[in-house]
Amino acid sequence: MIELKGVSKWYGDFRVLDDCSMRIARGEVVVICGPSGSGKSTLIKCMNGLEPFTKGEITIDGVSVGAKEAYLPKLRSRIGMVFQNFELFPHMSAARNIMLAQQKVLGRDKQTATIKTNELLERMGLAEHASKYPAELSGGQQQRVAIARALAMDPIAMLFDEPTSALDPEMITEVLDVMVGLALEGMTMAVVTHEMGFARKVADRMVFMDQGAIVEDAAKDEFFGTRRSERAQQFLSKILQH
Amino acid sequence: MFAGFDFAILVRNAPFLWGGMLLTLKLTALAVTGGLLLGVVLAVLRLSTIPFAPTLVAGYVNFLRSMPLILAIFWFYTLIPKLTGQSVSSFYSVLIAFILFEAAYYSEIIRAGISSVRRGQIAAGLALGLTNAQSMRYIVLPQAIRNMTPVLLTQSIVMLQDTSLVYVVGLRDFLTTADIVAGRDSRPVELYMFVALVFLVICFGASRMVHRLRRRYAL
Repeated sequence: MIELKGVSKWYGDFRVLDDCSMRIARGEVVVICGPSGSGKSTLIKCMNGLEPFTKGEITIDGVSVGAKEAYLPKLRSRIGMVFQNFELFPHMSAARNIMLAQQKVLGRDKQTATIKTNELLERMGLAEHASKYPAELSGGQQQRVAIARALAMDPIAMLFDEPTSALDPEMITEVLDVMVGLALEGMTMAVVTHEMGFARKVADRMVFMDQGAIVEDAAKDEFFGTRRSERAQQFLSKILQH
Repeated sequence: MFAGFDFAILVRNAPFLWGGMLLTLKLTALAVTGGLLLGVVLAVLRLSTIPFAPTLVAGYVNFLRSMPLILAIFWFYTLIPKLTGQSVSSFYSVLIAFILFEAAYYSEIIRAGISSVRRGQIAAGLALGLTNAQSMRYIVLPQAIRNMTPVLLTQSIVMLQDTSLVYVVGLRDFLTTADIVAGRDSRPVELYMFVALVFLVICFGASRMVHRLRRRYAL
């Protein structure tokens, strides 16, 4: 469904992404990990055209992201994205956050959008917070609203860019639970995260990045087993130490 | 303590003073509206990637901001008839000067307001499938306006006070009419106190109004 071929990106002389190729099949959950500055976030933002890239090709369901004639808004509306800092719109209530794009992008009428919104809030366990503003919600609640906002568009795939990195430990679980639920329902997901527990539970494949390159792309069992590169081994032992 | 003062003078001259007030209010309203509209255009151009646009706007803004307002008023008063070959009323020449002048200040305030909205907010809008224009309208501008309302209000109050400079081209704004009455009837204290009081009421009222607006729209 999502296919990357030789994607590279330079900032001047600095190479952020180095010839990255990978495929995410329908229903697959791919976890992307690696040390900070390895290009994971940049790579995932390239997938829906939020970050331009210098070379290579990315296609979503056969539609090229980088092509000049690509109509990005349409393409992006079919791919949900969840950010590290939630990026809820602070001047709108939780419900309004979820409604906005349904009405402005998908052209749903108010009633249809409201039904969808309430359904999602219910599912996220946030029904009683519908009219609250982001500033009145905890980090975990905000991130769940952000997930609901993305799901409201009925996306064909979801991209998660370090969705739990800005959360306090006790809130990480509530967000991961939602994500596990999505994965089990068969949602196609690309997840940048250091949560190896989550990866062990639901990932189909693990992608390990270092210095802008994909060093390893392996099935989960293989990755957590013994057959992995030395660099990935070092990284894993560091983050799994405690 | 007001023995010996003659406040009836205000009542006697009310129509004349009201005429001055009308000119002040009309000029302020038109200049603020025109200045804001032009200011938004300038701010967007300055933040754009259109070739030369940011540099040209920066040049314009810096040029006008380096100039005393009174010079701009004189300038347009003498310049516009020369450029167009037609005589323009003092009011319109002053209005154009005010709009062009205020737009330079407003554009900087608006630019700062737009820049104060986090980049990630635009990314979140785009990721949902909103177009650039929609992200600007529904996400960036509402937050930017909220951030810049107090400064825009201050600038507009300064603008209101600056309208008194129009006396240099023979127009009679509120302060000028009051000054005329004060001089003619030798009652400067009453008149200047009255002017100060009226400005105070207007400014206080305006700031209360913005307070209310911000609360009503949960800004």
